[in-house]
Amino acid sequence: MKKPVIFDIGWNACINCGACIAVCPQPAGFVSDFDTIAVNTPCEIACMKCEDICPVSTISHLVVAAQENPHK
Amino acid sequence: MEFDIVIVGAGPAGSTVARKVAAAGFSVLIVDKRQELGSPIQCSGAVSRHALLENGVEPDTEFIHEPIYGFKIMNGLGGEKEIDYRKLKPNVYGTQEGANPLGYVVDRRRFDRYLLTQAERAGAKAWLKAEAIGYEQAGDDVIISIKHYNKIERVKTEIIIGADGLRSQVGKWAGIKTHIKLKELASCLQFVVDGVETNGLLELITGSQTAPGGYGWVFPKGNGYAEIGLGIIAPYTNVNAQVHLDRFIKNSFLSHRFKNARLLEVQGGGVPLASPLKKQFARNIILVGDAARHVNPITGGGIHTALSGGTVAAEFLIKHLPSGDDNSEKNLAEYQDNWLEAFGNQMWKLYDVKKKIFKEKDITIQDKKLFETMGNYFSPNSDYKKI
Repeated sequence: MKKPVIFDIGWNACINCGACIAVCPQPAGFVSDFDTIAVNTPCEIACMKCEDICPVSTISHLVVAAQENPHK
Repeated sequence: MEFDIVIVGAGPAGSTVARKVAAAGFSVLIVDKRQELGSPIQCSGAVSRHALLENGVEPDTEFIHEPIYGFKIMNGLGGEKEIDYRKLKPNVYGTQEGANPLGYVVDRRRFDRYLLTQAERAGAKAWLKAEAIGYEQAGDDVIISIKHYNKIERVKTEIIIGADGLRSQVGKWAGIKTHIKLKELASCLQFVVDGVETNGLLELITGSQTAPGGYGWVFPKGNGYAEIGLGIIAPYTNVNAQVHLDRFIKNSFLSHRFKNARLLEVQGGGVPLASPLKKQFARNIILVGDAARHVNPITGGGIHTALSGGTVAAEFLIKHLPSGDDNSEKNLAEYQDNWLEAFGNQMWKLYDVKKKIFKEKDITIQDKKLFETMGNYFSPNSDYKKI
């Protein structure tokens, strides 16, 4: 079972291409205000496809410990 | 507030639906969350002339960067196929009187704005900075909630058109299976540059050395500018599109042409090289354009397919809205049937061709097949010219 992660986006390199949202299997709404995958909500799926597709590799993640996950 | 249809997304597909349905006398609201349509640019902007004309869009200097007269497909191993329609059909294509370009590279910011202008002139109401955030059922109609300059507007409508791109939230709301596999979404990056010569052809570079799973391109961009880009499929490589593009520019068989390139813009996007969605409608919902994955699975081209899909949707709605039929899934299925008959079946065939190429395990054979397929696709005898 994968552990939830929180994504971080290096905004300096992000080109707002939207590929990360396009490949994301999350339901509607898992987006940031800047049209990227959400950066303030834990991702329970943690498939990392958004990181793989990013043309400039500007998405990274931190594994969220269970007690830090506000949705648990 | 009430409209016959509400369109979410003012790209080529959404604005085509808006223009045609509004021109037929129905009330249309089209919303887009952006402040500048077509921006950020996520597309190379190539579209054929007949795609514009057959969908009622007159080629206009307002949005044309440069006319196009053909193609040149290269594989980096000495393989080249030039398909220059100025030479193949000199009476039809060219710059001389009575002849026309084969297509254009358009400025997506100006093109999308132009299409919305035409929709508004036909009677559609448009809201920018307006994000659709959900909908609820209201009898046979729906109420869509739209956040417009921070104010929530509730709009009653019969049909919501999801023209909100590959990342379609409308499709997800409706429970339509919109998810795309990583190996079918090309990660694309392109630079708009000065100092690279072009000659009216779209140059396509195949081969896993350049762009694993996809291809590279050099397109004329008008005023002496060009765009150099590529799309890769992430699982086929262990580095990102930026690294591949850097190698292509600095260390490829075309590098000598790029040595004086001066960078003007950086653009990118996710381009589906996938099948169309198996289901493009739900109760009160119709998807068009990238949202329905109306994208050519071989070339990744999406402007023609968006315009044409928008036309099919509009023609269906003009018949459906006054019919008295309810907006059930069953009654909206005809939209997809019409689309399959017009374009979709051909797109499915193209998808099968593409799938066979990339099922090939031997990379040398795979590269050879892609080069041949691209060459055949753009030839005057291609079965697939219409999409």
